[in-house]
Amino acid sequence: MSEQFEPNIVAFLCNWCSYAGADLAGTSRVQYPANINVIRVMCSGRVNPLYVMNALQQGADGVLVSGCHPGDCHYMEGNFYARRRLGLLKELLEFAGVDPRRFHMSWVSASEGHKWKEVVEKTVEDARAAGPFDQFRRRQIDW
Amino acid sequence: MTEKPKLGVYVCHCGINIAATVDVAAVTEYALTLPNVKVARNYSYMCSDPGQLLIKNDIKNEGLNRVVVASCSPRMHELTFRKALQEAGLNPYFLEMANIREQCSWVHENRDEATAKAKKLVAAAVAKARLLEPLEAREVEAEPAALVIGGGIAGIQAALDIADAGFKVYVVEKTPSVGGRMSQLDKTFPTLDCSACILTPKMVDCAGHPNIELMTYAEVEEVGGFIGNFNVKVRKKARYVDFVKCTGCGDCAAACRMAGRFLSEFDAGVGKRSAVYLPFPQAVPAKYTIDPESCLFLSRGKCGKEPKCVEACRAGAIDFTQQDEIVEFKVGAIVVATGFDVFDARRKPEYGYADYPNVITGLEMERLVSASGPTGGKVKIHNGVEEIIPQEIAFIQCVGSRDKSTGNEYCSRVCCMYTAKQAHLIKDKIPGANVRVYYMDVRAFGKGFEEFYDRVRREGVRYIRGNPSEIFRRKEKLVIKVEDTLTATPLEDEVDLVVLAVGLEPRADARKTIELLRLSQSPDRFFLEAHPKLRPVDTATDGIFLAGCCQGPKDIPDTVAQAKGAAASAMVPLARGKVKIGAQVACVNEDTCRGCGFCAAICPYSAIEMVTINRMGHPVEVARVNEALCKGCGSCAAGCLSDSIQPRSFRDRQILPQIAVLGVLR
Amino acid sequence: MDLEKLRKTAAEIVSREDVKYLIGWRQGTFGYRAAPCFVEDAAGAAELTFSPLCSANLATYLTLAEKLPVPRGKEPDSRKTALLVKGCDSRAVVQLLVEKGVKREELVIIGCPCPGMVDRALLAEVIPEESAPADLKWSGGGFVLVKNGLETALPRDRVLAEQCRLCRHPNPVVSDILLGEPVQPWEVGPDGGVDEIEAKDVADRWDYWEEQFSRCLRCYACRNACPLCYCKDCILDRLNPTWINRAVNFSENTAYHLARAFHLAGRCIECGACERACPAHIPLGKLNRKLAREVRDQYGFEPGLDANAEPFQAAFKPDDPEEFIL
Repeated sequence: MSEQFEPNIVAFLCNWCSYAGADLAGTSRVQYPANINVIRVMCSGRVNPLYVMNALQQGADGVLVSGCHPGDCHYMEGNFYARRRLGLLKELLEFAGVDPRRFHMSWVSASEGHKWKEVVEKTVEDARAAGPFDQFRRRQIDW
Repeated sequence: MTEKPKLGVYVCHCGINIAATVDVAAVTEYALTLPNVKVARNYSYMCSDPGQLLIKNDIKNEGLNRVVVASCSPRMHELTFRKALQEAGLNPYFLEMANIREQCSWVHENRDEATAKAKKLVAAAVAKARLLEPLEAREVEAEPAALVIGGGIAGIQAALDIADAGFKVYVVEKTPSVGGRMSQLDKTFPTLDCSACILTPKMVDCAGHPNIELMTYAEVEEVGGFIGNFNVKVRKKARYVDFVKCTGCGDCAAACRMAGRFLSEFDAGVGKRSAVYLPFPQAVPAKYTIDPESCLFLSRGKCGKEPKCVEACRAGAIDFTQQDEIVEFKVGAIVVATGFDVFDARRKPEYGYADYPNVITGLEMERLVSASGPTGGKVKIHNGVEEIIPQEIAFIQCVGSRDKSTGNEYCSRVCCMYTAKQAHLIKDKIPGANVRVYYMDVRAFGKGFEEFYDRVRREGVRYIRGNPSEIFRRKEKLVIKVEDTLTATPLEDEVDLVVLAVGLEPRADARKTIELLRLSQSPDRFFLEAHPKLRPVDTATDGIFLAGCCQGPKDIPDTVAQAKGAAASAMVPLARGKVKIGAQVACVNEDTCRGCGFCAAICPYSAIEMVTINRMGHPVEVARVNEALCKGCGSCAAGCLSDSIQPRSFRDRQILPQIAVLGVLR
Repeated sequence: MDLEKLRKTAAEIVSREDVKYLIGWRQGTFGYRAAPCFVEDAAGAAELTFSPLCSANLATYLTLAEKLPVPRGKEPDSRKTALLVKGCDSRAVVQLLVEKGVKREELVIIGCPCPGMVDRALLAEVIPEESAPADLKWSGGGFVLVKNGLETALPRDRVLAEQCRLCRHPNPVVSDILLGEPVQPWEVGPDGGVDEIEAKDVADRWDYWEEQFSRCLRCYACRNACPLCYCKDCILDRLNPTWINRAVNFSENTAYHLARAFHLAGRCIECGACERACPAHIPLGKLNRKLAREVRDQYGFEPGLDANAEPFQAAFKPDDPEEFIL
């Protein structure tokens, strides 16, 4: 059997719930795949939907956005905006032929270290199943 | 601003926490290959003094102007390293951290994978750090006053401490009296001092303190603003009794047509009260309240020819025209002490609490043994035939605690000891009584607890290890079906009275408090502290602190200790008179802003207003940020179609390079 | 439509002191075209027309108008702009009002109930386009082409533009003056173009769009023709940060088109201007209509109908759909 494809995942986590939840997973020594690379933002509401698209174009095989559960947002409403924007983005990406398994959104609270692990596993598994997303890669990179 | 970035990258071993899984030397070497990186080092503990000194020296000697620390979570040590930068004369916001511990070395076992990921995270941090901008933290005045929500022992203690320090305190209590759960208790374990005797003086102090404004029968409706400047709106519910005129004589309650018809909340349903009532004799303030739900006049609009209370009150204090009153004030800090609910034993139907009157809860037992309780402290029950003094008494532990089937996995921490105390009191009041305790484990961890447990056993209380499966009635007796797990003997014990040691639960209205104050919940549904070890009284919101059982079950000494801690923390901004306001707030590019107002509509803090500016002679509307109100969440930025509003330190031009690095490096 | 009434009304309006100019359509100089025009006097008003060729969305010009620097000591020109609107143009105006792109008091809106526009390409399939200008009229349930003095009847279904076939609001939703009687909205069938893509599996969809986007020249005509793409400084043009590279290749083209479509989510009023403007004939309307459909079906919102509505992207409901969230 050939070597298994290891997808590259970019994740955007809100500082107060999901990033704290991911930290808790660390403190609890919960093991999960190393494919996930986290960018910390203050609130899931900060995630410009174009970030998701940009990440896919820049080389991610999957993207995850995670925030506080509805009603628990540190900023009261940010995750509601994120939910509306990213829900629509998901529709658009699917319509444009981007495998729905490449983009996920989740609610992970500061106390859900185990849920974080499950979310990561699901995201990685899905992106792995969807395969490398080479078709959309940016041609030149000049960073 | 145009100064070329010169970066230092510092990779922490964190002892072996990072170094065991991540090849820190390789990460350091790799960092040196990244653009603009001048220095890269690794060290056993970057957060230690020598570690910080490494950074400070490099800033001075190598002329670094940006720093990347690859170590633990920024939620852990961002402030530490920012301070180090500042001490070395660099703007503290020229720091970026790569989380290679919580989100790398601790969660990945494979050394190659973890090292590769650490490199990526460092590269992304470098990409962002190059583009960081200098920021200034600002300070605003703090209101030298505090709000305490909840008037139980935690709230009372916190309020007294803050008030004694010379600050104004507003105490808001939902019920007509302060005192809370502690006032319902008879004796306290393990010292057996009388609960009311030690609590009542504090209640009186709280009401009489010149710095404390006590609002009972009131609820917090709205909290806005931020640390140092919370705007609070409180609804003082109509008591229908003039607070000033009422002398607390009780003539109204005696005269009430519905006298003794309603279950007393204070007596845990064991005793009765009128529609106009004082919750308990020592209530503070000693002012009567009419319960609008049970009052005939208020609920049906008619009470005989004239309500009897009006006739009875010589002070003329009854006032059915009273309306709820809204009070607004400003505070600098908030202590949340909203307490707990006891577990509803009906959720364990096998114990027959709903079916058999002689299955009671621990709290009901407190009222039954209390000298001020409805029976005057005499333990009497009715077995269906006659009134008797129970001789066979059983306690069942862990009802609604350590029990996944009820959704409460946690230990309620007080039931073992209050059961032991109640068993002792029973032995004291009914000398010949046969007292049994059915338990899973006995947890007697506090000061003097184990000694007390020992004493109770020596007094003849029998501890039977087993979790009863069922309680049913056989003639006048209740039968407990249980297996003694130490001897593997199935038992059917006949008793007169069963006391369920119900656990502690978050308050039924906890959700409301969460939404009001934007708190979080831990998995046990109690309020979440900022850090379980190091910030046990803080919340994620600056300026809001937790005290008592709203944060998790605890006994009275722990509650008081936490209340004192919360009070001390709350006093920090009050004493300083100023608070730091985040520097990472949003800012607007007025040249590209098209004035659509999306950001202003989005902002949950109303921190953005539309102003008219002159653009080449034309009046145009653009967004403007009130930096004192902005919290830097960035929701506005993601909703701005022209990217004209951006949160500092989280700008698109700082995040996109991170995305690029994480995407490109595989 | 009574053209005489249109021209007379327009002449009256442009002669008003407080009106800068009127934006309308006139007969084009080539084939099946009507051209947008700016009318400042009665002579100009006499050239105005309203025919099934007037598909251009005039609301676009409201935000395109350049605001020249005002010399010191002078007041900016605060006179009103008058414009003719069809149903879709009026929805664009409403959405601009929501977004404060224009002010209602600065507009004089002349409503033109619209029985539907033709698709020039479809028309040319039936009767080839020649350089001499031809005129088109509504007649009965269809269209009549007047060319070289000859009248040819055309069945409506054969040449009606796609966005008009799907139009729910043929009458202006906002106007100061309404010319003629409102038209009876017609039965809107399924959106075959969007359904067809939805029916494909995800890989086939990608292939479909790859074929389409690969042809994009990145001329940005779609953006410039859109009445609601009016940022003076589009983020997709910026270098710092660079959202998309300038290079014309499939990856950047796709990123451009997805970003464009997303920025119009909950804002697009489905006038089809983007697609008409595209020289590469990329079916851009399908992207917009797909999102508009989701916004309508899942979120219960239709933009461009109420000037006091909350902007869709700057609002939320606590019960917005979240089945997709893990």
